[in-house]
Amino acid sequence: MNKVHFDNLQETLYNEKLENGLDVYILPKRGFSKTYVTFTTKYGSIDRTFIPLGKNEEVTVPDGIAHFLEHKLFEKEDGDVFQEFSVLGGSANAFTSFTRTSYLFSATDKLYENTEVLLDFVQDPYFTKETVEKEKGIIGQEITMYDDQPDWRLYFGMIENMYHEHPVKIDIAGTIETIDEITAEHLYECYETFYHPSNMVFFVVGAVDPEEMMKFIKENQNKKSFSPAEEIKRSFPEEPDSVVQPERTLSMDVTKPKLSFGMKCTKTDVSGEEMLIRELASELVMDVLFGRSSDFYANAYKDDLIDESYSYSFMMENGFGFSMISSDSENPEDLEKAIRATLREATTNWPITDEDLDRQRKRKIGQFMRSLNSIEFIANQFTRYLFNDMKLFDVVPVLEKLTLEDLKNAFSTFNDESGFTVYKVLPAEKENA
Amino acid sequence: MFTKNRLEQGVTLYTRKSNQFKTVNFSVKWKNNLDVKTAATRAVLAKVLEDSNGMFRTQTELRNKLDELYGTIMYTSVAKRGDTHILSLNVECVNDEYLSDGGVLDEAIELLGTVIFNPNLEGDNFKPEIVEREKKSVRERIRSQYDNKTSYAQQRLLEILRPNSPISTSSDGTEEAVAAITPETLLAAYKSMIEEDTVDIYVAGDIDETEIAEKLKAVLSFGARPARKIETFKTTEKVNRTEPEHVREKQDMKQGKLHLGFSTPITIHHPDYTKMQMMNGVFGGFAHSKLFMNVREKESMAYYASSSYASHYGLVSVMAGIDAELEDKAVSLIKEQVLALQNGEVTDLELDQTKALLTNSITSTFDSARGQIEVYDQFKELDEDFTADYLISKWDAVTKEDVKKMAMDLQLEVVYLLSGKEGDSNE
Repeated sequence: MNKVHFDNLQETLYNEKLENGLDVYILPKRGFSKTYVTFTTKYGSIDRTFIPLGKNEEVTVPDGIAHFLEHKLFEKEDGDVFQEFSVLGGSANAFTSFTRTSYLFSATDKLYENTEVLLDFVQDPYFTKETVEKEKGIIGQEITMYDDQPDWRLYFGMIENMYHEHPVKIDIAGTIETIDEITAEHLYECYETFYHPSNMVFFVVGAVDPEEMMKFIKENQNKKSFSPAEEIKRSFPEEPDSVVQPERTLSMDVTKPKLSFGMKCTKTDVSGEEMLIRELASELVMDVLFGRSSDFYANAYKDDLIDESYSYSFMMENGFGFSMISSDSENPEDLEKAIRATLREATTNWPITDEDLDRQRKRKIGQFMRSLNSIEFIANQFTRYLFNDMKLFDVVPVLEKLTLEDLKNAFSTFNDESGFTVYKVLPAEKENA
Repeated sequence: MFTKNRLEQGVTLYTRKSNQFKTVNFSVKWKNNLDVKTAATRAVLAKVLEDSNGMFRTQTELRNKLDELYGTIMYTSVAKRGDTHILSLNVECVNDEYLSDGGVLDEAIELLGTVIFNPNLEGDNFKPEIVEREKKSVRERIRSQYDNKTSYAQQRLLEILRPNSPISTSSDGTEEAVAAITPETLLAAYKSMIEEDTVDIYVAGDIDETEIAEKLKAVLSFGARPARKIETFKTTEKVNRTEPEHVREKQDMKQGKLHLGFSTPITIHHPDYTKMQMMNGVFGGFAHSKLFMNVREKESMAYYASSSYASHYGLVSVMAGIDAELEDKAVSLIKEQVLALQNGEVTDLELDQTKALLTNSITSTFDSARGQIEVYDQFKELDEDFTADYLISKWDAVTKEDVKKMAMDLQLEVVYLLSGKEGDSNE
């Protein structure tokens, strides 16, 4: 087992890659009563076209299948896995993102029993025609619930505007129509391809003895047999740099217009330290231009273009990425103009000084230290980083050496107007009510 | 769990040393009566104090300062608990130990004093443009609730269930009450808050408790004040229902939001309070509960189906997202679960699962500094020596018979459905 101590963070991380390919990480946290454990596969909603394990032909599976599989893994021949966690005091959950599916629990007691349930239920699929059909009603209601959430529609509408081909534009849960096509055979095909231990990470953080836990996980894995690891062949369509639609509007029963402004990233085929530098530098650019201490924010707030719902963010995975700004606004047209003006000005006349960089760097270091209080953040973020060959505990050293040049380079990947798009949710006309 | 230190009459410091966290958390809480006018005024006051102050005159100056202090967090919030309105000022800074240059903790404490005692005044009053801007902010916050269908439906249920009462009164007040605020009324509210309110100050983190108490005493110069008794909400309308009331409302939306309101005589002040928490857990608090197992898993009717117990108000509410056409079926299924509880159909397994998850939940909450502060602030009013173990031992003692007895006291008062306008041809 490898052991790395991070002096400045006062944390020690333990790691071992098991014989079957499973990557196990353990981070004990002093003072915690709770342990948070995640079991994650590098498989999300974008992985829809691939060559199934043991086959030669590429297939495209129905939209929403990774999320559907996540739901169905909880059901076994003898009942529901939540029941098993509950009796052990484990609070279990799961989520599916664009690139990952994660199963997890947190517990303050019976850590090993809960860990065993997690390892065993994820590695023992049980899909039948009946259980698959039954789930369609539940997921159908989940999809309908999201359809009624204006902020979710705003977020996804912006992504749909942005992408021509890339499957990031497809809703993670799929649609009522696409999930109707899903069969137990599809689920097994996806499971066999993407749930091999070599495509997965197991992370334990909180109240834990690293040696004992590693021994426990190894013993569990040694009891099971797995086929040799094979390389997973996914395929993604070519994606142009420009957006599909620069503007689109949706009418909903809301009280105030909502605006989302997206900036599509180019040069997203990166990983490792290059990606970490790009990600942190892009976030810092957004902080300086659009953060709460920016001129943009002060003016937009004073002029009533934004309110408490205002937010901005940057996200990137291998193959796609974007910056976005969103807010409820009585005056979405003027808000859009102000955003565009800020971006244009920053492009022609670089506004960020060394002083700005130092201040935002400090803020970011503090933010990172604060987030290390959250064991949920550590496990989820660490796993995401790992799937992109980045190391979470490199954040502070990389922040410390970031230069204005890094920020300029990062900005140049999302400041072209052909990559901008606007999505608005506007209050519906009331006359038909 | 917190060390108590009386700074003045009516002003108390609670500190908790722990090396678990990389930050130090501060929270200052002012408590007053919950009424619409006080709530509205204090919601705006909270925003005005967060915006700027006498030392950092603009939002930008203040935010720049916070960025420089390694992203120190500073925000205000308002909340309610029973008949009490609470305004909190929260500050969180990174422990100096983790930073290459120290001094952040001292500056954060300074800032706390500045925000409280040195507001951004122009002459003798708050700046009218800041007051107007923040009134608008709070008004927008109140309005935007309409856009979140689940929270809107829950608010409507509470308004129908108990009109003009603490449970249906927002800690932001109402749009009308916010509109009536002037810089003068805001200043009067500020002075009354600083001089007359009961003040609780919390600090949690890797601190030297004696040293931090000295530093805070020097900066937070609150005077003594007589103990304030929170008044019981005055305008409570008595609602007498012999039959459950059914209310259906429409918006442009797809899903049906079904909310049911049950009343119970058991509140947090009742000795059976922990039994009621157990009843709610078996009923609908978790993924092993009757609602989840039957409405979601067995019938595939919903993605979420759960219950929650508002212990300060003696209410249990159920919420489920369903196809509106299945309303009757869903309501009978929910009633069947209540009936099962009332008939004592509770298994050992259900009881054990609920105990284990309630225990996990409270123990987990103590793994965050803010969780420690919020939970202790609530329970210290019942018991100054409160610990999580006390609650855990109470849950452990709950029997099936207790759960049955608690369920017998539930009275269904309101069934509320918020649903879409399409497909309503049968109406």
